[in-house]
Amino acid sequence: MKQERFVALHEAAWMEVETWMRGTGRKAWSSALAEQGLDFPAQYRRICQHLALARARGYSHDVIDRLQRMVDHGHQVLYRPPAPRWHRVGEFIVAGFPRLVRREWKAMLIATALLYLPTIACLVLIHFRPDVAGMIFSGHKLDEFEQMYNPARAKIGRTSGTDVAMFGFYVLNNVSIAFRTFAAGLFFGVGAIYVLVVNGILFGGIAGHLDAIGYGGPFWRFVVAHSAFELTAIVIAGGAGLRLGYTLLAPGRLRRGDALRQAGSTGAQLVLGAFVMLVIAAFIEAFWSSVAAFPDSLKFGSAAVLWTLVGAWLWLGGRGRRRGD
Amino acid sequence: MLDTVRQIETPEGVSLQLHAAGAVPRAHAWLIDFGLRAVVAFFLLVILGMLGQAGLGLGMLVLFIAYWVYGVVLEVWWGGQTIGKRVIGLRVVNADGTPVTLLPSVVRNLLRTVDGLPGVYGIGLVSCLMDPHGRRIGDIVAGTMVVHVMKRRAAGQVPNEAAEPPPVPLHRDEQEAIVAFAERARGLNEARQRELGDLLEPLTGRMGNAGLRKLVAHANWLLGRT
Repeated sequence: MKQERFVALHEAAWMEVETWMRGTGRKAWSSALAEQGLDFPAQYRRICQHLALARARGYSHDVIDRLQRMVDHGHQVLYRPPAPRWHRVGEFIVAGFPRLVRREWKAMLIATALLYLPTIACLVLIHFRPDVAGMIFSGHKLDEFEQMYNPARAKIGRTSGTDVAMFGFYVLNNVSIAFRTFAAGLFFGVGAIYVLVVNGILFGGIAGHLDAIGYGGPFWRFVVAHSAFELTAIVIAGGAGLRLGYTLLAPGRLRRGDALRQAGSTGAQLVLGAFVMLVIAAFIEAFWSSVAAFPDSLKFGSAAVLWTLVGAWLWLGGRGRRRGD
Repeated sequence: MLDTVRQIETPEGVSLQLHAAGAVPRAHAWLIDFGLRAVVAFFLLVILGMLGQAGLGLGMLVLFIAYWVYGVVLEVWWGGQTIGKRVIGLRVVNADGTPVTLLPSVVRNLLRTVDGLPGVYGIGLVSCLMDPHGRRIGDIVAGTMVVHVMKRRAAGQVPNEAAEPPPVPLHRDEQEAIVAFAERARGLNEARQRELGDLLEPLTGRMGNAGLRKLVAHANWLLGRT
């Protein structure tokens, strides 16, 4: 078939698809289809066939170009990402995320050790040699910590700022740290190791110092509840970073690029879960942990509940039969 | 091929053409996004700052959204484009040419931390220049690429002329060349048109404007006009 006839034959259909894609193609599927009554997937396949024909028959550049554009655009419309569904978000948090954490248990174990071993080492060291705290922090910083956790204050863990202000600060600060920990893991894991160890040392240093000067009470009352979510989330983000770096070193049976893409996708899911955990942690930290008036039993009782909850969630979530199995 | 077009075969059996975007247009898009976010965040912070301490907390949430959330949300639910990318005419797509989905977008935006080092996008620039598809590290790990959104050019029409078959049967690529010349010749100046047409003197048997008319006549015949 000569080109002119081919174009004349299909011009009307092409115009229809082009207008549809320009206008309603942007809207949601269902409403767009209902309005136009256009069976887009079928039309799209037909355009694809026309393009293949035009190529094979050597039609002019202009016609091929036009069809190619329609195919490019149609491909974008047809394979667009599905609309977000809340039940899938819930399913991920309840089942998918714990399952993923358990699957990557080796990385999580290493990340846990990298965070907690320096913490414990610092705690023990400062307990016996209190002057070590002065080597980790400047005198100015130590003063600040002493003010934040002064037993005489009504709000623990801060020298100024309201609950909402601190909530915003915790979200910005802690989530950024978690995200960067994951990303920095790409440097062969070194970045993630660095962040985990440094945070372990800082945490152990603060705890040890405050314990040594007798402010340990307010400090533990402050951190014990939200740390269930916060420290665990940092460990998970760090573990995801380690996984990414390790994959770069040892891709296993896949090509390095493919292995990296898989680790990246796994890591993104882990980090999204850690993000949710950190927002919860920031909420607890700002509105619950900071209240000095609660009695010890309430503080430590709630913390025990939270730690058990996080443990049980990560250990048991998503066990048993999967949906669709 | 020595260019940046990437051909991808779709399930429908045709190939998509992705025109990889280089470092410069991407930097432009990033600058637009950066400026936009800075200005909006600044004004929101000023307004929220008047609300006192609580406003400050909300302000930090605004900063968080501007820094981490903006790129992901727009890329996933606005056709792979942030505002800067839309202005410049770029789009983020998955490796198979489909619009970018949530996880790849999260990965490529989180790994800006790596690409952004040292200074301003040092690693990203090097990676972008070395990769055949201009991807930065985040794109490579996420399996995405940034492509140009191609706009349709004004269609070239072959001028009407009494159709006339070529004196000898022509190969398909020869036919394509003649039709393409007839479609696009008007974009060239007349001297250049004649110069090109004269190359086909063995086919048309004429020089100059007569040769050009002959070529257009052949093109008309090849297109199936009567």
